[in-house]
Amino acid sequence: MDDRELIARVRAGDPAAERALYDAHVDRVYRLSYRMAGDDDLARDFTQETFIRAFERLDTFRGESAFSTWLHSIATTVALNGLRKLKRFRKRETDIGEADGVTTSRTHAEPDLKKRLAQAIDALPEGYRTVFLLHDVEGYTHEEIGAALAIESGTSKAQLSRARAKLRIALADFAGEWIG
Amino acid sequence: MNDEKFEQELKRMAQDYHRPPDTPRDEMWSRIQAERARRRDVKKVVSLRPWMRWSLAAAAVLVLGIGIGRLSVKTPVEPPAKTDSDIAYRLAAAPYLTRTEALLTSFRAESKTGKVDKDFALQAQDLLVTTRLMLNSPAARDPRLASLLQDLETMLVQIAQLPAGNDRNDVDLINQGLDQRSVMLRLRAIGPTPGTTPRGAL
Repeated sequence: MDDRELIARVRAGDPAAERALYDAHVDRVYRLSYRMAGDDDLARDFTQETFIRAFERLDTFRGESAFSTWLHSIATTVALNGLRKLKRFRKRETDIGEADGVTTSRTHAEPDLKKRLAQAIDALPEGYRTVFLLHDVEGYTHEEIGAALAIESGTSKAQLSRARAKLRIALADFAGEWIG
Repeated sequence: MNDEKFEQELKRMAQDYHRPPDTPRDEMWSRIQAERARRRDVKKVVSLRPWMRWSLAAAAVLVLGIGIGRLSVKTPVEPPAKTDSDIAYRLAAAPYLTRTEALLTSFRAESKTGKVDKDFALQAQDLLVTTRLMLNSPAARDPRLASLLQDLETMLVQIAQLPAGNDRNDVDLINQGLDQRSVMLRLRAIGPTPGTTPRGAL
């Protein structure tokens, strides 16, 4: 049964169709949430909130785009909002810690390539990071990314290009390790 | 290395970045169903049938008439509650709810490491004062918000009272409470934080 038929049945009040629609899409939404959050609890929260909103607003889905596109736009909004709140809070905590003279010791050991890559991805500006994760890690097309983030597909391409350029600079020390 | 080769290697290496575990689909589905049922119940409480609306309107007119009557004999009376003040309180609640959500999210993330920083207790104490003020304010007239505030108060008290070398069981109990009461989902559902809605389909 395809999405269109499932949605019609959900609108008619069929709980089995709700579950089927959830089963058809939950893996990709959870993967996306996890890639963005890097934390199981957060990824679960984001996934759950995405489906709750989607079911609440299913009547507003007009079928102009694929259901998955509409759902992933909700998922990225939920995840980005959640992560922004968390980031603001952590910054505030850091500020308080610094004001109190509380500092954490840092190790200066050279991280390996994977660690450095993870740090470099974390350090990307939010827009670049989101596009990079969606395209290069999760395999979304630029058209899907454009629809999910409400940007032109050309903007998505440009952001991906800048993200890769930044990562290349960040990983320059490891150039010799890439091949092999 | 040329661009094409670099991009291929980058894609391959990046697969390890935040690699997701298996999807906990049944657990999430149970929580989604529970939370949706809870939200529907709240809506039922709040939504009124037409005859009830008319009855309430008639009662409001009656109260207004009594108020005007009292004013006309120059007896000092309290002004009737205004919905504007409710809105103001709801707006004031937004930063508080954002801070609380962030605290609980960070608490849950840090508790996985085995030890929770004492700063959480201090911040929970700080938020508890605001929680009590909110519960005593017109904002708590909204049954959904009032119910959430009561649960938040319980959670914050538990965090504020965590001993310095916090016991793993205490921390686990708090996290279980957060899950069982769907606190995080309700916090996110209570309303968007002003100025944080990105462009998108929502």
